[in-house]
Amino acid sequence: MIIEAAETQLQKLFGLSAEQVQRVLDTATRGEQGKKQGVFCDIYFQAGTSQGLTFDQGVLKNTSSSTTSGAGVRVVVGDKTGYSHTGHVNVTNLLQCAKVARAITEHASGNANVALDASDSLSQHNLYPILNSPVDIALQEKIDLLRKIDKEVRQYDARIQNVTVSIACESYTIIIVNSLEQIFVDLRPLVRISVSCLAEENGRKETGSSGGGGRYEFSVLAEDNMWQEHAHIAAKMAIDLLASTPAPAGVMDVVLGSGWPGVLIHEAVGHGLEGDFNRMGTSAFSSLMGEAVASPLVSVIDDGTMQDRRGSLNFDDEGTATGRTVLIENGVLKNYLQDKKNAGLMKSGVTGNGRRQDYRYAPIPRMTNTYMAGGESTPEEIIASVKYGLYAANFGGGQVDITNGNFTFSAVGAYLIENGKITRTVKGATLIGNGPKALHNVTMVGNDLSLDRGIGTCGKAGQGVPVGVGMPTIRINGVTVGGSQ
Amino acid sequence: MTSSKNNLIPIAEFVIQEGKRLGATECDVRISSSNSVDTGVRLGEVETLEGAQSRSLQFEAYVGKKSASTSTSDLRRPALTELVRNTIAMATASEEDPFAGLPEARYLAKKIPNLGLTDDAIAKITTEKKIQMALAAESAARGYDERITNSRGASFTDWSGSTVFANSHGFVGSYSSTHCSISAAVVASQDDQMQVGGWSSGALSFNKLESPEQVGITAAKRALRMLGAKKVKSQVVPVVFDPLMAAQLLAQFVGATAGSHVYRNSSFLAGKIDQMVASAAVTIIDDPLMLGGLGSRPYDGEGMPALKRTLVENGKLNTYLLSSYSARKLSTTPNSGSTGNLYFAPGKLSPEEIIASVPNGLYLTSVSGPGFNVVTGDYSRGASGLWIENGELTFPVEGITIAGNMLEMFKQIDAVGNDLVFRSSTVSPTIKIASMMVAGD
Repeated sequence: MIIEAAETQLQKLFGLSAEQVQRVLDTATRGEQGKKQGVFCDIYFQAGTSQGLTFDQGVLKNTSSSTTSGAGVRVVVGDKTGYSHTGHVNVTNLLQCAKVARAITEHASGNANVALDASDSLSQHNLYPILNSPVDIALQEKIDLLRKIDKEVRQYDARIQNVTVSIACESYTIIIVNSLEQIFVDLRPLVRISVSCLAEENGRKETGSSGGGGRYEFSVLAEDNMWQEHAHIAAKMAIDLLASTPAPAGVMDVVLGSGWPGVLIHEAVGHGLEGDFNRMGTSAFSSLMGEAVASPLVSVIDDGTMQDRRGSLNFDDEGTATGRTVLIENGVLKNYLQDKKNAGLMKSGVTGNGRRQDYRYAPIPRMTNTYMAGGESTPEEIIASVKYGLYAANFGGGQVDITNGNFTFSAVGAYLIENGKITRTVKGATLIGNGPKALHNVTMVGNDLSLDRGIGTCGKAGQGVPVGVGMPTIRINGVTVGGSQ
Repeated sequence: MTSSKNNLIPIAEFVIQEGKRLGATECDVRISSSNSVDTGVRLGEVETLEGAQSRSLQFEAYVGKKSASTSTSDLRRPALTELVRNTIAMATASEEDPFAGLPEARYLAKKIPNLGLTDDAIAKITTEKKIQMALAAESAARGYDERITNSRGASFTDWSGSTVFANSHGFVGSYSSTHCSISAAVVASQDDQMQVGGWSSGALSFNKLESPEQVGITAAKRALRMLGAKKVKSQVVPVVFDPLMAAQLLAQFVGATAGSHVYRNSSFLAGKIDQMVASAAVTIIDDPLMLGGLGSRPYDGEGMPALKRTLVENGKLNTYLLSSYSARKLSTTPNSGSTGNLYFAPGKLSPEEIIASVPNGLYLTSVSGPGFNVVTGDYSRGASGLWIENGELTFPVEGITIAGNMLEMFKQIDAVGNDLVFRSSTVSPTIKIASMMVAGD
């Protein structure tokens, strides 16, 4: 019984023996008449703590900690899923979950015998080894860092009024066991700093923000160059915006900065290439596999194997080793992002993208770190090439309608380009486009690929998961900019 | 089994007692317990069955002016004692905030009204019946028109829960509530275009739900009406917000009255009490005490009384939303930092009359993106809807944006409809904003 490999941890975290866990799996997969064909079950155990501290207006305002200990039992048969979770793990409650989840097998239909893709990648990662859990670092060290950042932001300019700085740390042990006699154990740390500030001058107020983190030790966050960068970016954004004028409205050529503006890629193509929407035929990309969906300058990659990154995982929330998946290669659509169920139904192979927010949710196909590959132009050449347009260097979030492909993303302050030169700062505006069309208009791709600083959370079907995005500086022609003038 | 509120009260009292015993000068505890079932169908078959029993406890301890809060799902007594001990240790290791603390005892609710938030009928609905209702909703949507070619599925969801809140001033409040909903989303296609349309009906009692057929047909109509959507040229026009979009706008506006934004001077409504912040057509009401209301609650999150209040009266801003912390920061009296049932008071015009008053403009049915800045009021969102020509809805539009400044937009609300329906906790009738920048081709 392979579950024994993790018995020490199951016992320590949940008081469960390997035999008890096997009994739950058996209960979930066997009906009254014994084991049913094609029925898959997994149990996702999660235990750990998240901690948050917020320093606001010069005082420590919040200190909080949340302990999670729960498990979710999933039963999959064909394209159907039964799921039940408990926040109070013991064998009685897990058996009850197994019975609730198993009810789905009574509704099995035509494709009940399509097995989900259980192939296991040989690649093993150890992407975020840490010695000290970030949660266990003394509060005083964290408070000291918050105070240093607060001071740094205020010192940037006398017009900075309010500063809010927060630290979030978490560390979770994940154990996944399934009816294929596989078992996976992972320890997932995650840390993040967020900085926001408000600048005021002559009654006018503007805000700036920055932040970052990843799956690494708290000490990395506390390195001077790391937190100072966030302090300076936030302060500069707020101060710059004090001099901004309203953004223009209408169609224009837009230069997007490198890094976080990669949220464009996430919204414009990433979501539309998630396996579930494509299996159901409800994505704007559903019939476009092998076709040109972008200019030949554009290649897009989802890579869950990048060391220390916020969007990385050693294996996804079904136990599949994460990978590097080329979604678009030189403009041509190559691959979807898959979990086990959709990979099985589409016969397209798992990619290690089955993710869940926590034990309360069944996994669905999600992105990890998604970016556009670098090109050959320098950022200076790209800006110089634009006669009249917008240079959007800082972004808020974005959103997409998977089915019609319309996406929006939100510039938090931008610069006007006139005759190849940046002339003035303009207020933020929403940019809007259509996924399968917009990237055909990418006319220049920079050589300065960078990923974001580790701040992104992606929402889908009510589940938030940490992700990364990235992009070099690029030029897109003919983007609709939603300014007010 | 879900713990009923009667089982949760002794746990809450135990935690407060442990808090006092182990050194907290003040403390409070909130416990929630719920059962939910989600029954999903797609293309005429059951697709997902999810059942969950959830519970959580949140404890907040003050040691003088230092504080910390923790949460857990482990409600066993030894674990709770440990939690209380750890929270107090965390508070002790944190730093003083001169404004920290519970609301003073005199501000706490003395009576807990029964607002009729439960319906026993929901627990009696069989799985078979839930499946049938979800199937009926999807089938009505798919059968409505041959251009409905695909489905994102339909579902019936039901929920029941109890919550208890107690603090060291002796406040103990509890109540139970139920909820159920039917939803459907289908895809319409024509030529190369696909459009998704969804609809959902939710209520605290089963007999207040729209019928599955109604939900399905509304979803189908919403998908179909967007087929053939195109861009329009950039222009400044009146924008009519449908009730769902107007409710979103209302939530963003009222968010700016939160005390936490006001004391930071980070709201476009800071310093505007007793001033006109909207046109005289605008009255905004918060009523947490509506019987059976989707946002109703007998007391607020700090144990303060729930009271009906007029936030904006004929355009004038009456009050901010003040938690006890915000009130102390602003040297004033707290009045609850959250809303219950929030709505624009309805006007006299029907939505048809409002649309008929527009010679050329946008009827907004969907927005996207995060484009709202609470500090400046700057607003810029992706938009889609139907174009109005000569007072009639003519063709669907998408791929455009609308932009303005929230304060200016509210001052330009020149029509409020009579079509207010309490379909969620924040609702609105149709409203019209006299002019906004629409960006397109």
